[in-house]
Amino acid sequence: MIKAIIVDDEKLARDIIKAYLQNFAQVELIAECGDGFQGLKAIQEHQPDLLFLDIQMPKITGFEMLELIEHPPVVIFSTAFDQYAIKAFELNATDYLLKPYAEERFKGAVQKAIDKIQTKTSAQKEIETLTEKREELSEGIDRLVVKTGNKIHILGLDQIAHFEAQDDYVAIHSDQGKFLKLMRMKHLEDNLPSGDFIRVHRSHIVSIKHIEKLELYEKDSYLLSLKTGAQLPVSRSGHTKLKEVLKY
Amino acid sequence: MNHPFLKNKGIIFYTAVWLFVAILFGLSLGYFYDFSTKEANIDSFIFNGTFYGLGLAFWFVVRYNSFDSSQILNLIVSHLAAAALSVAAGVFITVTILKNVLPQTEESLIYLNNSIVWRAGLGLLYYAVLILVYHLIKYYDDLRDRGQQQAQLETMLKESELEMLKSQINPHFIFNSLNSVASLTITAPNQAREMVVKLSDFLRYSLGKENHLLNTLEEEMANLMLYLEIEKVRFGDRLKVETQIDIEALSFTLPNLILQPLIENAVKHGIYESLEDVTIRVKAKAENDILRLSMTNEFDPKAVSKKGKGIGLKNVRERLRVIYGVPKLVFTETNENLFTVRLDIPQPSEK
Repeated sequence: MIKAIIVDDEKLARDIIKAYLQNFAQVELIAECGDGFQGLKAIQEHQPDLLFLDIQMPKITGFEMLELIEHPPVVIFSTAFDQYAIKAFELNATDYLLKPYAEERFKGAVQKAIDKIQTKTSAQKEIETLTEKREELSEGIDRLVVKTGNKIHILGLDQIAHFEAQDDYVAIHSDQGKFLKLMRMKHLEDNLPSGDFIRVHRSHIVSIKHIEKLELYEKDSYLLSLKTGAQLPVSRSGHTKLKEVLKY
Repeated sequence: MNHPFLKNKGIIFYTAVWLFVAILFGLSLGYFYDFSTKEANIDSFIFNGTFYGLGLAFWFVVRYNSFDSSQILNLIVSHLAAAALSVAAGVFITVTILKNVLPQTEESLIYLNNSIVWRAGLGLLYYAVLILVYHLIKYYDDLRDRGQQQAQLETMLKESELEMLKSQINPHFIFNSLNSVASLTITAPNQAREMVVKLSDFLRYSLGKENHLLNTLEEEMANLMLYLEIEKVRFGDRLKVETQIDIEALSFTLPNLILQPLIENAVKHGIYESLEDVTIRVKAKAENDILRLSMTNEFDPKAVSKKGKGIGLKNVRERLRVIYGVPKLVFTETNENLFTVRLDIPQPSEK
């Protein structure tokens, strides 16, 4: 039996998936969720094989929800209108349904997903490519969603003091505490609003608003102090960028 | 551009001025040369009559010469030529006629020969004055034309701007609504039918070409409620709507669909971004010549919302500014978890 979960904030949108799924005897619907938080909880609880996921939802989007899952199931996205998402999907094997969709289209998508699940293709890689594609197409970061244990935090950019590279992860130092998120510094550097954040060092990106002072540490070496009390090293190119932005 | 003195009542004015000049001329002749009234009148009318005719032709010198610095030499040359030719012609014609008309005496012959010099001078003066007048007329006309063009351009700009600022129907809304219809056809076909009708009515109104710039609040509210009913089908009990509309306010006017982006914002920040039930309150009051509207929605102050907000509100502000020419007609207010937007819509004074 294939275990499936639907995450969509509109009941009628869930209903139609439920109705169409009745033609698939081998798929069992184990949970219906009205938002991303419930979705995360249900996924953790039931470890489904297949996920029907809406993109535009309150609090956290389908994409953001997916970022927080360690071993994501096979995903069939459904969205009403999102040209970026459509582009991303087209570059990717993960299927998507454009609302409203025909039953035939739905059947095709589910059949593909079933094949994938039965051949035990790892969905992990796909999600990664999808995330990367999305990064390439993204219009910039305006918030970050992170998870600690079972708690989900949505961080506004103004709450973040600095980012620090830690192997494959980035440590986010925010008002709400320090969080680790699987992502690359380059992605942050490229997509954060350039007027608000500067990469001062290979391992550090700081929020300009949080800067307290810049001191000469040794010859040619500077130390940046933040209002949070953190002290960060500044590289030579970082120093040039700081000079430009702070205009001193 | 037509001849300024040959259109409308220009010729009357032109003739009147010349009549005045001719009388003055005749009186002067009587004064300086001791002419009899009859002779003075004959001289005056022949001389001034000739220049009256020539003067009309001077227009074309102005009309076909642009007053532009690159052609200043051209202008001077053509004016000099025109002046010399017309004055010579005018004086020659006058003197020739007068020789035949006036009494053929030695005295008058001497007078006529001597008069050539001052006649030429006077002819040049006429020429100069007329050219000046024509230039002024042309300049004034050009200015008015340009003003009209400018005004026309501005109206066009305003119209296209309005077209752009008009709320565009949110595609998310349409496709999600259609998806709801698809779903209802399976579970509740009757509701699906109702939904299709509502959606059609809403689209007909919103896309309608016959939409006037200003609609009554009654029409606009009907459309707004249609929109909310459709959203209610999508979101069920989570969306609650309270309205408080003064009866007198219903006949007041407001720009078509001006409330649409605001209600979409309310739904977006209320429903799309929140997990709780949300109440949206719409109020309208008629106050003298102002329609006072307010729309309040609950929202989650802690929500870190995605960007893209503020465009709808900005467009509404801009549209009202363009339509009414008053800068501040939109007010917003945030009070804990309530967001309120108020509009003051001036009413056009009674016809």
